[in-house]
This record gives sequence, C-alpha cells and structure tokens, in this order.
Amino acid sequence: MAKKIAIDPITRIEGHLRIEAQVDGGRVVDAWAASTMFRGIEIILKGRDPRDAWAFAQRI
Amino acid sequence: MNEKRGPTETVYQSFRKRGLSRRDFLRFCTIMSATLALPSSFVPRIAEALEKKEKPVLLWLEYQDCAGNTEALLRASSPTVKEIVLDVLALEYHETVMAAAGHQAEKALQDAVEKYRGRYLVVVEGSIPLKDDGVYCCIGGRSAKDILKEVAEGAAAILAVGTCAAYGGIPAASPNPTGAVGVSTLIKDKPVVNLPGCPVNVENITATLVHFLTFGTLPALDSHGRPLFAYGKRIHDNCERRAHFDAGQFVRQWGDEGHRLGWCLYEMGCKGPETFKNCPRIKYNEGTSWPVGAGHGCIGCAEPNFWDKMSPFYKRLPRVPGFGVESTADKIGAGLAVATGAAILAHGVGRLVTGGKTKREE
Repeated sequence: MAKKIAIDPITRIEGHLRIEAQVDGGRVVDAWAASTMFRGIEIILKGRDPRDAWAFAQRI
Repeated sequence: MNEKRGPTETVYQSFRKRGLSRRDFLRFCTIMSATLALPSSFVPRIAEALEKKEKPVLLWLEYQDCAGNTEALLRASSPTVKEIVLDVLALEYHETVMAAAGHQAEKALQDAVEKYRGRYLVVVEGSIPLKDDGVYCCIGGRSAKDILKEVAEGAAAILAVGTCAAYGGIPAASPNPTGAVGVSTLIKDKPVVNLPGCPVNVENITATLVHFLTFGTLPALDSHGRPLFAYGKRIHDNCERRAHFDAGQFVRQWGDEGHRLGWCLYEMGCKGPETFKNCPRIKYNEGTSWPVGAGHGCIGCAEPNFWDKMSPFYKRLPRVPGFGVESTADKIGAGLAVATGAAILAHGVGRLVTGGKTKREE
C-alpha cells in the first residue's frame, strides 16, 4: 500500500526545504522537493546599479 | 540538543568540561568586558556571573535568511573560540545545526517552549514575510509569522540578529515582494534587541548574552534598538583609514596608487560616515579583517534599509532624505560636511595644479 511521507523542515542545510516521498513496500517510488521560503531577489535586483548586483546575489 | 551540555550547567562548568583552563575563561571574560566597553574592573563581576548562573536557553529561529549570521557564528576559525561561543549559548533549537529533522525538529521546539517558558531567549535570523498571510516562508507547514508569535510569547527576550531580522534587510529591499519585516514590527510586547549587520559580528551576540547573564538586563539601546556598546560609535570616527581622510588622501580608482597605499575609500562610495557599528575595533573572523581593512568601502550594512538607502554602493554619499552624511554631521555638531567639502576641494585643486594622473570617477 503506497504511503506518502513528508519531512519538513530538512535540517543541517542552508535554506528551507520540504521533501515529500511516496513510499511503497519500503521503497521510495516518487519524491518531491519544495523550497518553502521565497524572497524575490531577482525582482529586487531589477533596475539597480549593476555594480551592486554581487552584494545582493551573494546573500542568496 | 546535546545532553551533556544541558542548560542546567553554568558557562564556567561547560568551559572546564571541554578542557579549557581557568586562564582561558578569564581571557574570555576580559574580551567580553572590552566588547561591552566596560572598564576592566568589571571582569571579576562577569566571571562571577558566568561561574554561578545557568546558561540561558536559546532558541534560534531562521526565516527569510541566507544563514550568513549562523555562518558567522559557526565559522570561528579557532576551535577554542567556537567552543566558547557554543558554550555560552545553550542552543535547544537551530535548524542549520540540529540533528533532528521534520516533525522531530518541530517537537523539539515545542518541548523547549513548554519546558523553559518565560526563561528562554529567542534569536531570530532572517525577516518575516507578512504578505499573503505569510505564505512566503513556512516551516513544518506553518508560516514564520505564526511560529514566531507563538514562540515569542514565552520568551524572556528576543535578539534579532542580522539586518534582515532587525529591519527586514534584503527581502524588504524595494519593492519588498513578500512584505518582509523585522522582528520588532511583528512583536510589540517583548524586549527586542537588534543586532544588525550583514552578517552580525558574533562577538556582539555573545557580549549581549554575557551582559544579560551578568547584570540580569539587556544592554542600553539606541533609537534603532541596537546596543550602544556595539553601535554607539560611527565607523568613520574609528576607522583605521581616518587619518587619510583628514589628510585629503583618497582612493580615486580601484587599484590606483592611493588604493595600494591604503588611503581613504570615501570617494569610492564608503558609507562609514553614515554607519554606526564597532567593526573597526572587533572586525570579523576573530579580528582578522573587515571590509575597509580589506580595501573596500563600508556598505552601511548595520543601518535600517541600507539596501535602498546606501545604494548605489559605489556612489559617493548618495543623497538620502533625512539620512545624508550632512544631517548626521549636523546632529553630531562637528560640521563634518563642510570640512569634508573643503578637504575634497583643496585636494581637487592640488591635483589640478600637480596634474593628477588619475581621473575622478564622478
């Protein structure tokens, strides 16, 4: 019988991650990863002085 | 998190367990006393508090962050310092370093909240998105906004570390796509200490905690909620390159002679004259270096909304309504803007006369 499990949060990583897995008979048959945090750095970068881009992008 | 280092022991006991000597301990107390800008007569008092008082339980929450402040905490190069920091902090929850994951991690947080209710300290790293009911940052299926409100309720105090947690930081930079805010915008009924910086200098976190342990209170804060011991002085006034500013010796182009000689970075866009922090004194990575020391101007990372107010970072003194160097100088009463203008003018004339080799960028 297939069962769906979710691990959220995944720890010991930088960032926020959720993993969902479809388990059938003790084997993972399908899996989905989702980043559960969004800041919109690309949107924030638009229209700025290109020389500043490194400072913004570095903080991802 | 670690059974052996439970919160029931004192900082000094943890020190000794890790094989550090009393001399190491007293050296640490001296560093803390200096960071807190206290006279050396306070060292015995700090030592006594760390010997007798239980370590404060700390819950470290990460929201819209890059983990840069965590890195600043963990990347201490000498093992002794790293151990000292981790000993002062009895971390019960920290996503980046804890062993548990998934629902076990969230249970650890809930358990700590119940067990130490009213006594624990909360460290927040990263901003909190409020737009669309906080959907832009979720942990264990719950929004950062809801978790923080719940955890903050039982907290003795909250430290907002890094500029994102303090003032919204980079996620709150224009146009702030996710409606990101700092902790004090959301939490109004608890004492919040802002420790901005991108990243924060870890000594300032430790010193704030040591102050809390020693005196039972949080340190005195400025109007932006920052401890005065760390954010009470302007970078420009304590800068190692200040003498070059006063002498009118400015870097005009990256890699020019002035740059090689370590002259003032003011004309390259340094925001030191507008920024209040103790970077020139404590630096980063255990006093190894800091941006200006490495030859790049300060970007003003300890100031609210610096991503918008201080940028473009390479433009000299951007005109910021109400926060230009002129207004700051006026407030301080040093008439710095006039002196600066005169110095640059005099320098410019000098360069014209001598036929300067490099062109001014602006």
